[in-house]
Amino acid sequence: MIFGMWDGALFHIGPIPVDHLVVTEWVIIALIGIIAFMATREMQSVPKGLQNAFEAIIIFTYDFFTQLMDEEHVAKKWAPLLTAFFLFILISNYSGLIPGAAHIAGFQPPTSNWNVTMTLAVITFFSVHVAGFSEHGGHYLHHFVSPSPLMLPLNLVEEVAHPLSLTVRLFGNIFGEEMVIAFLLFMAPFVVPAAIMGLSLLLGAIQAVVFTILSASYIAAAAGKGH
Amino acid sequence: MKRNKSFYASILLLAMVLIMGFATFCLASEGGGMPIEAPAGHTPAFGNLYVIGWTAVNFFILLSLLYKFAYGPIYKMLDERTASIEGSLKHAEEVRVEVDELKKESQANLAESRKEAQEIVARATKAAEDAKNEILAKAQGDAVNMKAKATAEIESATAMAKAELKDNAVALAIMAAEKVLKRAITEADHKNMVSEFVNEAGDLLC
Repeated sequence: MIFGMWDGALFHIGPIPVDHLVVTEWVIIALIGIIAFMATREMQSVPKGLQNAFEAIIIFTYDFFTQLMDEEHVAKKWAPLLTAFFLFILISNYSGLIPGAAHIAGFQPPTSNWNVTMTLAVITFFSVHVAGFSEHGGHYLHHFVSPSPLMLPLNLVEEVAHPLSLTVRLFGNIFGEEMVIAFLLFMAPFVVPAAIMGLSLLLGAIQAVVFTILSASYIAAAAGKGH
Repeated sequence: MKRNKSFYASILLLAMVLIMGFATFCLASEGGGMPIEAPAGHTPAFGNLYVIGWTAVNFFILLSLLYKFAYGPIYKMLDERTASIEGSLKHAEEVRVEVDELKKESQANLAESRKEAQEIVARATKAAEDAKNEILAKAQGDAVNMKAKATAEIESATAMAKAELKDNAVALAIMAAEKVLKRAITEADHKNMVSEFVNEAGDLLC
């Protein structure tokens, strides 16, 4: 078995191949879903335990995006999506730190594959334009030719550059981190990788936050008063 | 900087671990059947449509799960909490207004009762003053009356005494005159003479 940035199907459901990281995605989604279900099973007005912790995360992210996006109705509309990005990316990043990640078949951190990060970035891309059109209607198109029609090509390039940078940044960081840990594990399997894994804890959180904040700022820019 | 035993112990441990790590590396490079194989990863192929599709589907499943189990109940709970806090604040405000009113009322009551008490005291004071004045006036009147009566009594007594004195003086004078003169004078002349004398003498006496 090679060090697994597996690039092939683990098994097939009918004609559709299921990759290793897709299985990991399922596990991550199930985990988040179960935690959410457990936390909100018996909602109490005065929260405690798991409900308190989970509520704190949801409310913190909501407040965070509200502050970031200036306009509360926009933040209210898009905070759920951004919080989902954050939770999914954070847990995906951290899943690479679990022993056996990328060594056990069907267990590969999804964010270390750029098909996954590109999908997330494309969701951001569509969200940005949906937010822009829903806030400004047809007038939203005007921002592609502002400040002058000469800027149209540059503006279009910018629109493509945003999701591209999101894709490559997240994929590169996590893939690189996974590779470094893998090589260190191979060269000096005791203690030494722990230092890099400590850094990876930081890096995973930072990348999740960066992806989410950038998505939020793109949406805020499209939905904001600037257009 | 002081370095204690645990510092040296940890340095030693780290060195051992590194040596062991290096040994593992050497063993592995010789293909000694190590549990961890040399990394042979490569960047994944870009544009794997199945992965993209699966990821999109999975992400929207996650989003719907979060809507169902996280955002829905938590935002609802937040709204409820906001409503209950607002209700509490409103209720507190109402209670405050009520308390203010009660306070105002009780203050008004207090002022009124104070005023009443003052009025009662004033009335009592006035009544006492009146009584005092009345008593004083009555006493003064009595005193004046008594004084007048006494004066009148004194005057009448004086007059009586004067008359008596006069009578006595007249009798004495007559007796004296009779004794001196030893002659008979008509009673009338006598009396006239004497009373003239007595009047003069009386005026001098009194």
